[in-house]
Amino acid sequence: MVNVRGIRFTACVSLCLALTLPASATAQGDLSVGRKMLMEDNPGELWVDQGKSLFYQKRGPKNVSLEQCDFGMGPGKLVGAAARLPRYFADTDRVEDLETRLLTCMTRLQGFDRDQLMKQAISAPASKGSDIEALALYITSRSNGMKVNVRLSHQKEYDMYKAGEYLFYRRSGQTDFGCVQCHGEPNQRIRLQDLIHMTSKAGAQEVSSTWPAYRGSHFVVRTMQWRLNDCVWQMRLPDLKYATDYSIALTTYLNRQGNDAVIQVPGFKR
Amino acid sequence: MKKTSILKWVAVAAAGAIAAGCASYPDEATTRQAAEKMVYDAFAFSPAHKGRLDQDRSQQICSKIGDAKLTQAEAAEIVKLARASIQYPASGKLYGDWKVGDQLAHDGAGDRIRNGKTENRKENGGLCQNCHALAPGEINVGNVGPSLTGYGKQRGNSEAVVKYTYEKIYNAWAYFPCSNMPRLGTTKHLTPEQITHLVAYLIDPQSPINK
Repeated sequence: MVNVRGIRFTACVSLCLALTLPASATAQGDLSVGRKMLMEDNPGELWVDQGKSLFYQKRGPKNVSLEQCDFGMGPGKLVGAAARLPRYFADTDRVEDLETRLLTCMTRLQGFDRDQLMKQAISAPASKGSDIEALALYITSRSNGMKVNVRLSHQKEYDMYKAGEYLFYRRSGQTDFGCVQCHGEPNQRIRLQDLIHMTSKAGAQEVSSTWPAYRGSHFVVRTMQWRLNDCVWQMRLPDLKYATDYSIALTTYLNRQGNDAVIQVPGFKR
Repeated sequence: MKKTSILKWVAVAAAGAIAAGCASYPDEATTRQAAEKMVYDAFAFSPAHKGRLDQDRSQQICSKIGDAKLTQAEAAEIVKLARASIQYPASGKLYGDWKVGDQLAHDGAGDRIRNGKTENRKENGGLCQNCHALAPGEINVGNVGPSLTGYGKQRGNSEAVVKYTYEKIYNAWAYFPCSNMPRLGTTKHLTPEQITHLVAYLIDPQSPINK
């Protein structure tokens, strides 16, 4: 616990340093120095161990571990599994991303209540985080150093990919925004915040290989589902439910565009 | 004879592909139908917020995938719809108070929804700072849109400039079909009166943006 606080304090100090850079600083140059400083001491590492113990612990009403969960490479086989997600699973007849697959296993194997899990999935800022956040990070970390490799072979995977592409460009709401309005050009910012150029290979690769990530301003690990949630909130869309096909479609599209990126999690975000 | 045998092979190959359940990209209509359903399944929304998900005709046209370009007919339709949507303030005055506009331009909030509730604010922010450089020396500004620094200095304050500026903010697509800029008046994010203040902020010689 003391250790946790210590590392959070370090992150906080670094963050302050990043924020007190000279006022004349240009966004691209000096802010990235601040971000690099933060990355060298990534508190998200703490969540990896937490996720590992959650994975192997006997939990839930059925008192079993997640070792029988099949993430696509066979029960309990985690190495390289996240690199292939989202993908089609025959037992649910659905394309699932990592978080949806976790919901499936925690419900079916461990007997947890699905609605309850979804309600708790995205934790409050500065909390100790949710089980799903820690598990998602641990499982993805088992693909660290490996390349993202989302394949399309089942018809539902093709359908999901194309739906994701469609949704990336779909404009609606008070701001007339789709994803592409902010993420379609290089070197763009909303205020001082850099925007990833997701229609480029390098940008999509940044997306596909850095989540879950430690979010410095929230002091917790965040997942891709959270990222999409926050985007649609800024776009002025209504509340995005957890683990919907909308999110899975966008993740399928972006991860496949970002194939061949080397996974390194936890990522670090401002 | 040769032709018949090729046809035979094509038929055999096609039958084989179907039998094997050969997967491929769905066609556009299938994708549209599936993805549109996903949108309405994914969001928890009250009847009051359903309009945030529904696409109007212009949004549909402006959601082209990849590098697909607008046709001339589509661009003309967007401009026509945009022009028809523009409303002017009851007073007829398009030029408000630049000081109010300055505040609005730097306010990036309003209209966001959390737990089914819209942000509780007296009025929405203008969002300008998110995407545009404003007064000289301001650091915390975006660059998704063009710089507006010196807007009035460059263009003057003729009636034509005032009217153009008002209409551009109200519905940017009247001049630039499908541009990234939100149609702030048409979507009712801003009121006509708020837009007059932004016009003054952009044009007035006393405004910090023209210093």
